[in-house]
Amino acid sequence: MIATVLAELASTLLAGAEGDGDTPWILLALGPAGAGATYFGLWRYYRNTHTSHAFERETRIEAQSITGDDAKVKEVKGTKRSQVDGDNRTDHRQRVQRF
Amino acid sequence: MTSLPPPSEGAQPPLPGAPIDPPADPIIDTENERLDDGANRCPQCGATEIQLRPSEGMLICLFCRHQWAEARLDETIANGDLTTLSGTTIGSGAADIDVDVDAVMTMKCGGCGADVVVNTAEQMGARCHWCRHVLTVNEQVPNGAVPDAVLPFRLTHDEAMAKIDEFAGKRRLFADRRFLSDFKPENVVGVYMPYMVVDGKASADVAGQGEVQTRRYTKGSGDDKETYYDADVYQVQRHVDFTVDDLTIESSAERAHMNAAVNTNNIINTILPFDTENAVTWNASYLTGFTSEKRDQDVDHLRPELEDQFLSIARSQLAASVDRYDRGVRWERERLDVHGTRWVAMYLPVWLYSYYHERGGKGMVHYIAVNGRTGEVMGSVPVSHPRLLVAALATGTVVEGLVIAVLAASG
Repeated sequence: MIATVLAELASTLLAGAEGDGDTPWILLALGPAGAGATYFGLWRYYRNTHTSHAFERETRIEAQSITGDDAKVKEVKGTKRSQVDGDNRTDHRQRVQRF
Repeated sequence: MTSLPPPSEGAQPPLPGAPIDPPADPIIDTENERLDDGANRCPQCGATEIQLRPSEGMLICLFCRHQWAEARLDETIANGDLTTLSGTTIGSGAADIDVDVDAVMTMKCGGCGADVVVNTAEQMGARCHWCRHVLTVNEQVPNGAVPDAVLPFRLTHDEAMAKIDEFAGKRRLFADRRFLSDFKPENVVGVYMPYMVVDGKASADVAGQGEVQTRRYTKGSGDDKETYYDADVYQVQRHVDFTVDDLTIESSAERAHMNAAVNTNNIINTILPFDTENAVTWNASYLTGFTSEKRDQDVDHLRPELEDQFLSIARSQLAASVDRYDRGVRWERERLDVHGTRWVAMYLPVWLYSYYHERGGKGMVHYIAVNGRTGEVMGSVPVSHPRLLVAALATGTVVEGLVIAVLAASG
């Protein structure tokens, strides 16, 4: 199953690279990357160091309607960044400066 | 940056010289008036041989088989509307620990009058060595040993064993060999762990910058082809008022210290939450046959953790309100105003399998924990690094072989 997926991935990358006229030697990195991912994935499955109580979802919370302001302050033209620098919209536990 | 509104009135420090109005009833008396220290008798026959029957969630008299339960805590204290919470209210079992109060207590046996010594750091009851009555500690002495409430075990020892066996069974192949040979799920121990269960009312303000993509385009060709973005940048500000019911926080300093590099305390944290609304008023007989860990943290020690969790909850609640910012939001400042909290100390039931594992001269205790009410299980199983390495190398070799085959076929 995994081998099939990797073969398809390699073929896809290969096709893309050939389109650009390059020799896709970068594909050789897939082997070490697969080894590293296997080691880390299995280790995490056994040790569960990343787990904790999801109190944000698993506690009874009643929130009133949310209020706020949205003010356009500037425009960005021609940036190569695909996202806001330091996007922490979903990282609820990352604390920022307190007022 | 847009300025935020001032904190609410409730959070303002009092003016110098102004009278301070304390909350009307900052302490809720949760002492179980029906029980005295010493002989805790069966209401039907008066015997003192009492213990929990987990499958029923009831106390049972081992002499006459009469079964009963203490009243739910929620029924014995005024809970009220959480939106009216103000100030800090504390259950009498969650009061500050007095370091001068000895863990060793002397109780007078209700059967024969003898003095019996109980070390509350290790157990909450003892048998009178003269008349064989069972004595239990029910008085809320200020040493953290007697909480406001206890949530009895519902899962039996056999059910917990099966859960742990199943969990470890799925993790045999790459487990440490000594762990497997020593693995005996029947060694699982029922432990009542100390927690503070907190209701709260709070407001939070958060401010930052969000971006909405207006254009995406590429420049150049071949190797020089790159993607560029145009975006509108917004100053974003949000305010949310919320109440939280039964937020559960570890009240043992050792258990609250979660660092995956040196311990596996996060495992016990993961099996939360419990159905704390079903906790009953204290009766030490619920602990018969189980062990317990004493609380060593006061309300003030836990306030920073509570505020941290409240802020995380606030950020989670308002996440949906910034969905329009498809390039994301960078929150830069946040503020929390806690208007009111109510703290109750509880013992919550955990089936715990522990294994001390030493590697490279460093030891660590690995836990497999089962929620004694819901059966949720989580654990840490020490790994066999040589086996992991073999698996990783095998996978890497197969992948590399496929890549080389594809390259050769194309070349």
